[in-house]
Amino acid sequence: MTAASTPGATPAQAARINTRVLVMGLVIVVPLIAILVLNLGRDPHTVRSPLVGRPAPAFSLVPIGGGDPVSLESLRGRPVVINFWATWCVPCFQEHAALAAAARGLRDVRFLGVVYEDEEVRTQAFLQQRESAYPSLMDPEGKTAIAYGVFGVPETFFIDRAGRIVEKYVGPLERSTISELVARARSGGP
Amino acid sequence: MVPILGRTLILLALLIASAGALVGFVTGARPSGVGWTWTRRLAYAFAALMALANLTMEYALLTHDFSVSYVAHVGSRSVPTWVSIVSLWSSLEGSILFWGLVMGAYIAVATWQNRDKHPEYMPYAVGVWLACGAFFSFLLAGPAQPFATVLNPQADGPGPNALLQNHYLMVIHPPFLYSGYVGMTIPFGLACAALLVGRLGHDFIRPLRDMLLLPWIFLTVAIVLGGWWAYEVLGWGGYWAWDPVENASFLPWLTATAALHSALLVERKAVLKGWTVTLVIATYLLTILGTFMTRSGVFNSVHSFTQSAIGPTILVFLAAALLFTVVLLTLRVDTLAAEGRLETGPSRDVMFLVQNLLFVLFTFTVLLGTVFPLVVEAVRGVQMSVGRPYFDKMALPIGVALLFVMGVGPALPWGRATKEQLRGALLPPLIGAAVLAAAGLALGVRSPWTLVALFFGGFTAQVTLSEILLPVRQRMRSHGEGVLDAFLEAQRRGRRRLGAYIVHAGAMIVIVAIGVSSTMGTSKEIQLREGETTTVGAYTLTFVKAEAISEPHRQSARAQMDISRNGRSLGTLYPSMNQYESQREPIGTPAVRTSLTEDLYLSIHNIDTDTGSVGLLVLVNPMVSWIWIATAVMALGGLVALVPAWRREPAAVQARAPAASTPPEGAPG
Repeated sequence: MTAASTPGATPAQAARINTRVLVMGLVIVVPLIAILVLNLGRDPHTVRSPLVGRPAPAFSLVPIGGGDPVSLESLRGRPVVINFWATWCVPCFQEHAALAAAARGLRDVRFLGVVYEDEEVRTQAFLQQRESAYPSLMDPEGKTAIAYGVFGVPETFFIDRAGRIVEKYVGPLERSTISELVARARSGGP
Repeated sequence: MVPILGRTLILLALLIASAGALVGFVTGARPSGVGWTWTRRLAYAFAALMALANLTMEYALLTHDFSVSYVAHVGSRSVPTWVSIVSLWSSLEGSILFWGLVMGAYIAVATWQNRDKHPEYMPYAVGVWLACGAFFSFLLAGPAQPFATVLNPQADGPGPNALLQNHYLMVIHPPFLYSGYVGMTIPFGLACAALLVGRLGHDFIRPLRDMLLLPWIFLTVAIVLGGWWAYEVLGWGGYWAWDPVENASFLPWLTATAALHSALLVERKAVLKGWTVTLVIATYLLTILGTFMTRSGVFNSVHSFTQSAIGPTILVFLAAALLFTVVLLTLRVDTLAAEGRLETGPSRDVMFLVQNLLFVLFTFTVLLGTVFPLVVEAVRGVQMSVGRPYFDKMALPIGVALLFVMGVGPALPWGRATKEQLRGALLPPLIGAAVLAAAGLALGVRSPWTLVALFFGGFTAQVTLSEILLPVRQRMRSHGEGVLDAFLEAQRRGRRRLGAYIVHAGAMIVIVAIGVSSTMGTSKEIQLREGETTTVGAYTLTFVKAEAISEPHRQSARAQMDISRNGRSLGTLYPSMNQYESQREPIGTPAVRTSLTEDLYLSIHNIDTDTGSVGLLVLVNPMVSWIWIATAVMALGGLVALVPAWRREPAAVQARAPAASTPPEGAPG
């Protein structure tokens, strides 16, 4: 790559093997192939969360725009739906209306949003344009997202009255799916 | 019958391509007239077989022959005829077959064009093309077989992917994309030939550049058509999301653009030969990587094209091609020694280098972001995704830097420049820069990056315009011609130069329009009942009614929205939700009112025709239409630059001769 255009390369040099090109080429090529091979046959849509069936990690986070922190502990005794989202995420956008409608309809369930890798100003503007039916919390260093093993938004966790994770859903939710999963969280298990 | 005919054609194509590759390589190593004649014959035969196989498939699609597996997979009696025709590229096997058609056409044309030129390079080049052709024939013969026999054919089929039927852009996007992707095979073959021969002469860089430019035009258009389609169909109001599949088309575009520029330095100064060849090869390899990304199901993408079995086969080909080219470069790149040297210091030469490095940096940035989730998955067993913020953050400074180089590069003279020359070149365009930035400020632009983009955009615009007009002015002065005569004559003598600056003008507008549209828009999400009214910006929207429409192949629910702006009626928009027979989920079709200044964009989230309510996303997007217009300008510029290459030489010879009076033919930085 680099040595190719060195000015003044003589014909004598020309016949030689260019080891710099070889090394650089292999440094790029070999890991790339290895990574692709290792990922063959993997379905990117399957989700394995070791958290399902376990107590949901505790958190105490401040809502967007400030206010008293909301902790998971304080919601014990009610089913909880935690939705990780961001304004830059297209599917989050699509599912927002369904989540808001569900939050208005299902009065016994507590809905929470947790902002994933986004700025407070943007999320505030996003929510002001839409009717937000439940609080969204800032997760400044992404600690809660890490604790929940979030790898890409949207991801939604359904938690039962005892604070156990019953279900994890990846991708945009529809109204019917929410009802179904909330029903499972209400009954305390799958 | 038809399945057997199809399979026979594919097997013959595989045989012919393999034989042609072999004959080509042998003839390259031991030149002979007979060998070259047979290499060409086999190349034409491959193209003919691919064309026949495609015709056979079209026949099967149109006659609804459900004994052909591909027809059973995507065909349907209830779809319109045009849908049957374009079903060819609606699904995996058919699109690979179509790919073969495009490839055959490219190979045949490129072989014919060079049938009596470049005798030492061409057998190798055709050999490489046919080796690639053999691989795709192999895919069609086995892993992605479109002509398998269905033993008990059904009376009807499910019809193609609903997205294909939903919008005409999805019908024309794939052919453009394939013409871009597949076309990169041709410069790849030429680059490999240069390495195998151990020479990249002045006469051979011209065909290399032209054969790179043609697929580049297609790829440019295809990328933007894809974005336009997303904008018109997907309903989230944007045109680019750094999805792996989008990145797959963008990566080879970046390296091809870099190669088009470095090829100019090869032509003018006989430097950067190995580098240019490497960029061309990288471009082809990235198209194969892109094919793997879209076809293997490994990448998590909103497109989620296919989860197919051809992933491993493409990966083997990719690995083989990567190792082959690395070894080839290692052994031969030093034979392409530079004959001239590059100037240092502030000059157009150096700006070319900066441009190239920026494009390569951009390529690595996007590649890293695309592949990184796979690395994490493989190393730590954890799934993750790289969000848009990473790409946006990285693309912003690189895009602005490219805008800067695109302005400053062409302003600077070739070679060394004195301080006075530099001042004379760089100070006047500051007027254009200041004007555009001030206009932006006056119109309410406050984002610093957008203002910087406007500033450099104005600089680039003035430089580009004055470079286009420079030869005209010179002719008017020296030959006493009128404006029109001078322009026509100047453009006849410097078509490639003119074309390149037209592309620059388009690119500058695209970058500025992206900056403005992504920072200056407004949006609102709202639930309306029939008769209710809402306002967004200067627009007033009235939801008149929700109505259901039934068509043979789909059911639609649409909202009738009366639009007015500042009290003046602008007519009615119908955003809709379409339910196709073959699809579980409905597909929304936004309604967009496009104007030169801004788009009004309505997208339905939910609609209920019984109760008469609709959930709407309303966006006002400034300057978006300029992205589409400017892309057309870029394509036009590419064509202007390409045309003289296909007329016989006189124009090119003339253009090189009077180097003293007109600026050198070729392009900017």
